[in-house]
Amino acid sequence: MIVAIVFVALILFGMPIGFAIGLAGVVGLIDMGGTQFLAIGPSKIFNGLNIFPFLAMPFFILAGEIMNDIGITSRLVKLAQVLVGRFRGGLAHTNMLASVFFAGLTGSATADAAAFGRTLVPAMVKEGYKRDYACAVTAAGSIIGPTIPPSGLMVVYGSLMGVSIAGLFAAGVLPGLVICIVCMAVIAIGGKRENLPKALRGASPREVWDTFVSSLTALAMPVIILGGILGGIVTPTEAASIAVAYAMFIGIFVYRSLTFKGFYAMLVRTARITGVIFVIIAFAGILGWWMSFERIPQLIAETVLGLSDNRYAVIAIIIGLLLIVGMVMDITAILIILAPVLVPLTQQVGLEPIHAGIIFVLALNISLMTPPVGACLFVLSSVTGEKLERISIKLFPFLIAEIAILFAFAFWEDAALWLPRMLGFAQ
Amino acid sequence: MSDWFSAASAKINSVVEGIVAALMLSLVLDVWLGVVDRYYFHWQLPWPEVLARYLMIWAALLAVSSGIARRDHIGLTAFIMILPVGLRRTLLVAMDVLALALFLYVAFFGISFAESGAPRQAMIFGASLAPFYAAIPVAAALSSVQLVLVLFRDLGSHIDEPPFATEVEETL
Amino acid sequence: EGGVIKFGHDNKTDPFENPAHACTAVFSNLVNSGTNGSVTVEVFGSNQLGSAAEHVQQVRDGIIQATLTSTGALASYYPRIDVLNLPFAFNGNASTYEVFDGEFGEALAADIEAELGDVVVLGFPDTGGFFAVTNSQRPIADLKDFDGIRIRTMTLPSHQKIVQALGAEAYPLSWGEVYSGLQTGVIDGQMNPVPIISFANFAEVQQYLTLTNHLFSPYTFMINRAFFEGLSEAEQATIRTAAENCVTASRGLSRIIESSDRGLAGLMDQIEVTALTDDQRSSMAAATQPAFEAHVQENLDEKAAELLASFKAAVENANNASYLD
Ligand code: NA
Ligand code: NA
Repeated sequence: MIVAIVFVALILFGMPIGFAIGLAGVVGLIDMGGTQFLAIGPSKIFNGLNIFPFLAMPFFILAGEIMNDIGITSRLVKLAQVLVGRFRGGLAHTNMLASVFFAGLTGSATADAAAFGRTLVPAMVKEGYKRDYACAVTAAGSIIGPTIPPSGLMVVYGSLMGVSIAGLFAAGVLPGLVICIVCMAVIAIGGKRENLPKALRGASPREVWDTFVSSLTALAMPVIILGGILGGIVTPTEAASIAVAYAMFIGIFVYRSLTFKGFYAMLVRTARITGVIFVIIAFAGILGWWMSFERIPQLIAETVLGLSDNRYAVIAIIIGLLLIVGMVMDITAILIILAPVLVPLTQQVGLEPIHAGIIFVLALNISLMTPPVGACLFVLSSVTGEKLERISIKLFPFLIAEIAILFAFAFWEDAALWLPRMLGFAQ
Repeated sequence: MSDWFSAASAKINSVVEGIVAALMLSLVLDVWLGVVDRYYFHWQLPWPEVLARYLMIWAALLAVSSGIARRDHIGLTAFIMILPVGLRRTLLVAMDVLALALFLYVAFFGISFAESGAPRQAMIFGASLAPFYAAIPVAAALSSVQLVLVLFRDLGSHIDEPPFATEVEETL
Repeated sequence: EGGVIKFGHDNKTDPFENPAHACTAVFSNLVNSGTNGSVTVEVFGSNQLGSAAEHVQQVRDGIIQATLTSTGALASYYPRIDVLNLPFAFNGNASTYEVFDGEFGEALAADIEAELGDVVVLGFPDTGGFFAVTNSQRPIADLKDFDGIRIRTMTLPSHQKIVQALGAEAYPLSWGEVYSGLQTGVIDGQMNPVPIISFANFAEVQQYLTLTNHLFSPYTFMINRAFFEGLSEAEQATIRTAAENCVTASRGLSRIIESSDRGLAGLMDQIEVTALTDDQRSSMAAATQPAFEAHVQENLDEKAAELLASFKAAVENANNASYLD
């Protein structure tokens, strides 16, 4: 209780969120037993960051820095402009579609947010979008990344719960596409109210062609990355380093505009943004350890789950619980702590294991963009400099839409299991 | 006096940023080497994956102090902005003091953490874990120094105009 | 006297699902009942409190009281544990029981305790049996079949040396990327005990499995020394008995899992399984053991060489002994 009060007070009084999480965790440790448990802190910080796939984040930020600097981004934006510019919010729709494409390259939402936050958000701002809205669209789309395969979270879930990872991958495709379509509908509906920009006239075929040709080097980038992954040359994490390599190659040898001084600044800025995000993850490790040790998530789960044994009620309670805990805790930690408590319940009410898995993964992915602890929000806020709360406000309609999609797939088993069944992963 | 703190903070930070840039560059090269080795050279180097994690941790944690110097770290400001200026600045100074306490705690316990790495093997280069674990106390100590400097530099006035947002747009 | 044993491990929290939790479940039951509740056990599975290596540190610091740790995680604290990686040593599960319950097990426990100073070793539970090799290229039966196959190993020099001595290539890859790495062909194969291969779903992305049985890697069950010595003699005796039963339970469950659809029996339908003949195994042993011994000579201390010698002697005795004979 005292930990919660400390956390809320510090955040309200403007302390950076990562530091507030850290202090709340330390208060928890002291509350547990004076100074006896304090030694755990540095170890949780180090080991919380000692994870190879985390590299995807700084690498995609760096690739984004280079792409902006040498003009790859603006060429891509120009192309999107001539193709969809005459529609209101064309670039916002492009952002959403690009997330689907990017989802095939990465298994992580923060990598998506990092890459687009450095490229598409500034481009959208330049075209007349409000920055908070551009960030919100990017955040909403970023969770398509770990929903459509590959997906880091599904790999963790699959090996933790003994569920087919290929089956989970299959189950993610449809929700990922539906999220894209519904979010595009949200953009379209809100377009007038948000006063999203649109071009006055359409582009001529000639203009379209010229722009297409001039952006070929940029268009080749995702092709090369995807080829590297599917061709078995790189893992999804290493693919981010290929993005850096390609952007540097183009910057040095093709456009010849990448300077040493510019590159130095990019390296520093990438590290700073990474530091801002990693310090939150690191301190969250201390708070998470305290919560685990005190068995707090399990206590909450046991209390809430006694309420009903109706199938739909149980599903709704589980989703609610994941979303609420997801507001204040890192999602991998939630998965590790709560899945063993909650999944047996889904079995009791007759949920197919893959169906239960996709519900978990979707709910946790959505938690990546719920404040105050939402990794995608942190990435976008630090990458673009936009305020967390302003992004959150603009994100609200998207969040509601995505939660509705989550409930639809949770209650409608035939839709959730359509593709896994077709591929023989589920009965 | 505020100028002195400002200059000191900037001076330390420029050195730190140089180190951070070098670490980031090594990180990129290290991961490339891992890929090229597996796909082309077949040297079967055991260290690129491990080294990448340690370089990432050193770079990111050192950059935390840089984020403090530049006030990059994200917080919610909606509530505190509606308070009167005097109260707001007092609270923000208090937050800096509390953050300082947090980093001093990490630095203090980080020293024994780093020492605990000395007898343990890192599985690369025959090194112990101490030089990698040292990232924690070193980064926390640097962050503490920067917190003291920026506390006196800003005296709670820093969110009157957040610096980072404008800088990002200028890069485009 | 009395107290709470917070017990951390890195496996699923279902006693019928994995040997580690079976072991802790049996241990808690016997400790709780045998001490009339003066000592209780609380188990934290699934890495809730950290990685296996962090658990060791937490036990040493007295933050938690007990853990089961893999040899890989223990290696950074106690490098000599590496001698257990002698490849193609055991000829069956029963031999592993004899070695780790016998004189060698006692000597190893004593050496770990002397080296660390702050723990008591209570036994060496089963992690799920021998290592097998899976890959996507071809069935592996002979040494020559390993040629050029790229196998993922843990970041453990001895494992790399063994794989290389077999003629394959060894690349460390982080655990989180192994599944997708196998799927896209970044690597061709990997090695692990059968239950891990099964629940990590590697059969979905691998075609061939070879029962090489080349490594056996037990858990080390350790408890904080100060805590243990603070208990009464009767409580200590109860804990030692409970630990022995914990080890037995881990072995029983490992054998059951191997034979159920969560182990080898289940994998048979999804992946082509190859068992090795004695000749094939001896030629692999001949290829790898000298390389491994050279690795121990070069990288570990004098005491490790002695430990390896006594390990080999114990294994040979156990291999030659036969059941109820
Ligand atoms: Na994906
Ligand atoms: Na959240």
